[in-house]
Amino acid sequence: MSDGADRRLHPGTIALRFIKEAPQTLLALPAALAFSSKTGLSGALYLAAGLAVALLAVKWLVWRRFKYGVGAAEIVIESGVLNRNRRSIPFDRVQDVDIERTFLARLFGLAKVRIETGAGGKDEGLLDSVSLAEANRLREAVRAGCAGIAPAAGATEAEGPIQSILFAMEPPRVILSGLFNFSLVYIAGLFAILQTFDSVLPFDIYNPARWLGLVDEFLPARWTLGAIAALLLVAAVLGAIAGVLQTLARDFGFRLSLEGDRLRREQGLFTRKEAVISRRRVQLAEVSGGPVRGLFGWSGLSFQTLGAGTDRGGHQSAAPFATRSEIEAVLAEVPPLRLPPPPELIQVSRRHILRKVAGTGVPALIVIATLSYWQPFAPALLALLPLLAAAAALERRFHRYAIGDGLLFVSRGVWRRRLWLIPIARVQSLSLSSGPIQRRLGLATLAIDTAGAAMINAPRIVDLRSEAAEALAVEISRLRRSAVIASEAKQSSSEAEAAGLLRNDG
Amino acid sequence: MRAPYDRAMEILTPTPMDRGLLRLMQVRGAMAGLVLLAAAAVGEVFVDEVTPMPTGLLLGVALLILVYLAVLAPPRRFRAWGYGIDGEELQVRRGVWVRVHTVVPLDHVQHIDVSQGPLERAFGICSLVLHTAGTLHSQIVLPGLARPTAEEIRDEIRSRIREESA
Repeated sequence: MSDGADRRLHPGTIALRFIKEAPQTLLALPAALAFSSKTGLSGALYLAAGLAVALLAVKWLVWRRFKYGVGAAEIVIESGVLNRNRRSIPFDRVQDVDIERTFLARLFGLAKVRIETGAGGKDEGLLDSVSLAEANRLREAVRAGCAGIAPAAGATEAEGPIQSILFAMEPPRVILSGLFNFSLVYIAGLFAILQTFDSVLPFDIYNPARWLGLVDEFLPARWTLGAIAALLLVAAVLGAIAGVLQTLARDFGFRLSLEGDRLRREQGLFTRKEAVISRRRVQLAEVSGGPVRGLFGWSGLSFQTLGAGTDRGGHQSAAPFATRSEIEAVLAEVPPLRLPPPPELIQVSRRHILRKVAGTGVPALIVIATLSYWQPFAPALLALLPLLAAAAALERRFHRYAIGDGLLFVSRGVWRRRLWLIPIARVQSLSLSSGPIQRRLGLATLAIDTAGAAMINAPRIVDLRSEAAEALAVEISRLRRSAVIASEAKQSSSEAEAAGLLRNDG
Repeated sequence: MRAPYDRAMEILTPTPMDRGLLRLMQVRGAMAGLVLLAAAAVGEVFVDEVTPMPTGLLLGVALLILVYLAVLAPPRRFRAWGYGIDGEELQVRRGVWVRVHTVVPLDHVQHIDVSQGPLERAFGICSLVLHTAGTLHSQIVLPGLARPTAEEIRDEIRSRIREESA
């Protein structure tokens, strides 16, 4: 297959990249040599000239081996000098074509074209650089190729969207949520600011005598129980105030409204921020809470969306501080998402506790053993080991999962409690893994990959019994297949309806 | 021995990789081992001056590591790799210590790369790289396929993507 890849980047690219890299390669090395050795200026100049020729040759070779083309159904990019790489991007996977022009590129009349596919990698379809005319031609060609699949963004706008507010926060609610955003980071921040003005301040902030002296002025005896309590109280009040202020600045006047196919979010006290969440791009929902918040029935809802064009995707808060029924109301507008009835969730294997203890306990034992060499009291630390088991047991209590109505539910976390709602049709890939300890215990971890998420937030079900993990993976795979078939059938029937004719699929 | 979950996940009998991959792993292992051996030889000369050490200890350890990397490890790693494709999903299993079994729905594949490095070329194999929109494993690499096999799989997946959108 050698169709398609028939074009090269603009030759100006060579010059552009050469200039971009010139400062580091052409100046740094010869300059260092000129200083360190006795070759002098002329030697350095020769070296620079030699390097420049070599660099240009490499750039030329890279340019020469880079080819792209627009075929009937895909964009083809061939690249690589040593490692030949041929990439095909089907049109219907293209989310958008971005044209970016830096100042230097403008001087050359060039433009960088980025073909967005929504894949995790950043350099998925980067043409750096082509002429502006070619960039526009490419965009037209690709958009024409995708036409019909992704309707133009302006189309829904023109219809005059009907707005209805799904969720809004009044100021008292924002302040209440701020109290839960209690944060001591701001005290550290205060210290950081003090540190920058350290030289100007009349006292040394790191002088403990100074701080103790301050306490002395208010209290008769240092470090009495009362003094410590007072300090903690002051810290707590400061933390609470900081949390409230920060939350007010961010979430004041939070409003989520429904607008045709999209959700519009407005928030902020000083800078009003607006964001649009396309309902069709929602990949999963996350309900997050904490032990104290949970006690009062409050939790937050956010969506994970697939980015496209100017909408970067990622995590989108939909209701930062809401009751269960409010969250249910928002989720109802984004089918098939819904909250699971609590008893539906199943705990992971009991051996999760064993695995956790093996994972944390063994290193702890080694540390204690090493310490006892010097410290006769170290073995007393062994009494703390049962705590590890207790922590692991607590962790297991909050690590649950379930499958139902085309959704996979996963919950995890003791302090920061997360509940993921994952539409099975949105699952990008499944990964079962088991390490050496897990295999001994007959456990496996199931990782569910979805689009648009930060890696640390990816839902995982850790330490299922391996048979349960297999069964779950097979079940998800089966449900996904049927979901895809169902959505295809729905799509083709609605298409036929819209066209006013019945199409015969061969 | 097979990890227990392979039984149920074995919707398809896993196809082993091309023998070229084994040879590639051996060559790579040998190269890494030789670098280590060279470092040990240098160390042998200098360490002796600092602390008294039995002559040849470093070299011996490096040699053992070389044998492990080039002779013992590659066959196990090679046998751990396997894949299967059924027109709906690609399944890949790999790993000796941590065993991983990945299932990729083909209709979620964004684009496909067939890549071949100089060493791979020497052994007549290439890698198939599937890109999905996911973030945890946005690239699923299937190394050690014979070129015709890789192109066959690529074309199959490509036609599958096109069908999906038609």
